[in-house]
Amino acid sequence: MLKGFNHGLRKFWSDLTSGDLLILAFSIVLAVTAISGVSFLGDRLKSSIKQQASVVLAADLSFRSASDLGAQYLELAATQSLGVAETVSFLSMVIANEDNLLSSIKATTPSYPLRGKLVITDFNGQVIEHAGSPKRGYLWVEPKLVEQLGLEQNNEMAIGKATFIVEGILQDFPDRNVGFLAFSPTVIANINDLDVMGVIQTGSRVVYRNLFSGSENNIDEFLENIEPVPAEIRVQKIDGIGDQLGRTLDRSTRFFNLAGLFTIIIAAISSMIAARRYADRHLLNTSLMKVFGASKNFIVASQVTQLILMILIATSVGLFFGYLLQSILIGVLKDLLDAELPSASFKPIGIAFLTSFCLVFGAASPYLKLLGEAEPIRILRNDFQFKLKNNLAIYAVALFTLVVFLLLLFEDIFLVSSIMGAMIILASVLYVIGSLMVYLLSFFQSSSGIGWKLGLKNIVHRRSESVLQIVVFGLSLMFLMVLAETRTGLIDSWKETLSEDTPNYFFFNIQDYELPEIKAYLDQELDSATVFTPLIRGRLLSVQPKEGGLMKSGEMIDRESNLTWYDAIPDNNQVVEGSWWTDDAGSQMEVSIDSGIAASMGLSIGDQLNFAAGGTNFTAIVSNFREVTWESFAPNFFFVLSPELGRDLPQSFITSVKIPTDNNQVSKGFVERFPTVTSVDLNAALQQVRSIIGSASLAVQYIFILALIAGILTLIASVFSSADQRKKESAILHTLGAKRSKIFQSAAAEFLVLGLLSGFTAVFAATLFSGFLSTQVFDLNYKPNIFVLGLGFTVGVLSISIAGTLAIRKTIYTSPVVTLRNS
Amino acid sequence: MKNSILEVKNITKEVNSPEGVLTIIKNINLSIGSGDVVSIVGPSGSGKTTLLAIMAGLDLPTKGSINLLGSKITTLNEDKRSQIRGKDVGFVFQSFHLLPRLSALDNVMLPLEISGSEHAQEKAKDALARVGLEKRVQHFPNQLSGGEKQRVAIARAMVNNPKILFADEPTGNLDKSSSKAVSELLFSVNQSMDTTLIIVTHDLILADQCNTLHELAEGELIC
Repeated sequence: MLKGFNHGLRKFWSDLTSGDLLILAFSIVLAVTAISGVSFLGDRLKSSIKQQASVVLAADLSFRSASDLGAQYLELAATQSLGVAETVSFLSMVIANEDNLLSSIKATTPSYPLRGKLVITDFNGQVIEHAGSPKRGYLWVEPKLVEQLGLEQNNEMAIGKATFIVEGILQDFPDRNVGFLAFSPTVIANINDLDVMGVIQTGSRVVYRNLFSGSENNIDEFLENIEPVPAEIRVQKIDGIGDQLGRTLDRSTRFFNLAGLFTIIIAAISSMIAARRYADRHLLNTSLMKVFGASKNFIVASQVTQLILMILIATSVGLFFGYLLQSILIGVLKDLLDAELPSASFKPIGIAFLTSFCLVFGAASPYLKLLGEAEPIRILRNDFQFKLKNNLAIYAVALFTLVVFLLLLFEDIFLVSSIMGAMIILASVLYVIGSLMVYLLSFFQSSSGIGWKLGLKNIVHRRSESVLQIVVFGLSLMFLMVLAETRTGLIDSWKETLSEDTPNYFFFNIQDYELPEIKAYLDQELDSATVFTPLIRGRLLSVQPKEGGLMKSGEMIDRESNLTWYDAIPDNNQVVEGSWWTDDAGSQMEVSIDSGIAASMGLSIGDQLNFAAGGTNFTAIVSNFREVTWESFAPNFFFVLSPELGRDLPQSFITSVKIPTDNNQVSKGFVERFPTVTSVDLNAALQQVRSIIGSASLAVQYIFILALIAGILTLIASVFSSADQRKKESAILHTLGAKRSKIFQSAAAEFLVLGLLSGFTAVFAATLFSGFLSTQVFDLNYKPNIFVLGLGFTVGVLSISIAGTLAIRKTIYTSPVVTLRNS
Repeated sequence: MKNSILEVKNITKEVNSPEGVLTIIKNINLSIGSGDVVSIVGPSGSGKTTLLAIMAGLDLPTKGSINLLGSKITTLNEDKRSQIRGKDVGFVFQSFHLLPRLSALDNVMLPLEISGSEHAQEKAKDALARVGLEKRVQHFPNQLSGGEKQRVAIARAMVNNPKILFADEPTGNLDKSSSKAVSELLFSVNQSMDTTLIIVTHDLILADQCNTLHELAEGELIC
């Protein structure tokens, strides 16, 4: 064994330079360049998007509770090297210049915010130096307060029992309020001033938040240390920050994973082809070594040593190119992304080495085994062929290793298992289709000359190899098409959900009698028909399950909720279980529930819900569950009552509208004309979401481009590998009198037909696979994108044909004597 | 006097090597008549195969000229030379050079398909029958013995009725009895089709059966 290692070491350089190992090394360099490029870029973009998303929490982790959290978590986190901050938020009336306004008070510690930026200016618009909270006795206020209370620099403002000085204007802050706090302008105060305000009493509605920041590992470790977190504390991490951003993050991460996964699979296919060539070229060497008395162990040890050395060198070279590639892309991306890009982590380096080892040993081990076992005389008599049929077990092990590796790498069992499963099924389907196509081709008689005839004949004669090539090229093309389709679907869906028409103002607290006038005003100013939704303040008291009993506790129970009623199912809602009420059933007392809430409460259709609203108690039967598009920025509700129930309850109205951002007059005029109506400006929050989604879209685009380049390069490399075996045939044809043009024509015909067959199978498979991924993984509607599929087909067929003919071109211009002598 | 089918004038072939320019063959002059059977012998490395390749238009000399079948092939481009090979030249190699994925019949049909000849299948079957392999037409090279492979190669070489057939060590990979059968087959082609036969060989028994024998040593023709 040791002798084998020594031999492998001694022969390494000559084997590498003679070309045997070089082919495999080249395939690894390419694979690592692609994987590390995608990985380096994906890693940095993921961190960047996460950083941006962290802004929404102002932290990486937040504990939120309605009661005081105490200092225990902050103290523990500080000992674990986490950044900590604290906020306390509540609604209170602020008084200034003899006027008052209901405001959202946020009391903070100086370390706030842990993520994102606070921008404070003086009343002349000059940015002022500040910590995370004003000095004691001072306040920062949002521009709306300045406008409505006519504030000036250093005016006094009273909150509760204390009077403060308005020091600055709060131009931007990270964790914009949601829920009941969102409707009022924000005031930031020092957390140590809470006591002097004296506004927090027993029963006050207050949101206490502990904020934490640190590396993902440290955060997870901290959470593990304190688990279980008491039920009354809501733990928020950046991955769970609400539908819109959470889904954006989730989808973009899944897309990065998908691109990485596809790149690795394409690289694995390419490495398998290269490993086969390596083994083919090593046959004679191996047999001679055996003739000279080398044992199986000696041969395997020698080969393994060479492969390890090759992996180390090729992976380092690939990493260099991968880093270079992503640096170029980052250079372009930097100005476009609305965020600081964190520096690249070391993770892709580990991934690259691990991938190389898995790829090389996964692909080469069946051949290593065969090389070790082959009888030398059969090789020397040229009577030995690699037949892997009997080594399916080894391939199964290699495939299993790849799956385990991908699972460890991506930590997404569903994505990896569904893609690998689908890939195996598709490869089998492609094999059957490819076999059928090649079989049908044998009946096709070309009358367009010997070039075509030979090309087609070659495909038919090499039946099993042709089918394998169709599967390999088809799968590679399919991956690229699927990636292109998914990327397009994803970006389109993001564009759609945050289109220019997304509402940016909420007006609520509109009374019945104000409705006609307000509608007339908005319709005229905005030149559109404004829709108003009833808003009923209510409380869910208890649930009476269909099976009997009474449920009195739960997340939603005894909490104030916004209810509404509708005749017809509103836009952005879809019934997923049960049925919407009809006119005939109008007398029924029914309620429709958001499917997520229904699931968390364990509700079933037919359960009875007891509500209190407007001084009356009533019971509603659950008639359906709805899927709600929460990211629509339109009024959406967990509970929708049937008209029969809701119509006569005390109610106000709410509407969401899009007011052009360059037209302040509409909102200003509205506030002046309807002072009792509460208006909420969503522009800043919307901008925050838009900026994150914009970055995610851009990142997805670039990752796609990189994966596409990697995919096409790997595909071309696979074509070049398969062209190698045509060298000898080309030389024989040349000797027998075939003109170069004819040989060229036959190669072109062969690759064109292979490309066409692969293209057709890829389009077929891509349609199935994209449909599966869109609906099951990305939660998108799927409609085949004819443009993407057509473009993928054309580019794929051209790449295979051009790369194939270029690969054979060198052979055609090599003297046949040289080729035949070498063979 | 027979008509000259191949004229070799002052042929020299040099190649670059790490040690400098290496002369493979030097100043060779030869004239071969139609229907001749010529053997070229010499030790390994004497330049026999290079000379054969140059005479057949597979390679070009550094100096000198070749006139093959009335065409000065040293001045022709690759395609024109291929055209001549496809029409009038046959080849038999030491290691057969059959295409492994084609059956015996398909291998023999290749030259006919390249030249666009009609009734290729019938002609190929006929050629295989002439070399005694009528029952092996659908066999693939790996299903044939060495002698059978070489017979398929001979069938492939003669299927186009070439005027000249080049054989490079045709018996070099065969046992004694197969060698004898292949030699006889080659001579019978010469007899029945009046094909000029040029054989490069180490096999002195085979060489002695030829009308003319040339010997090469260190790239020079010594007889």
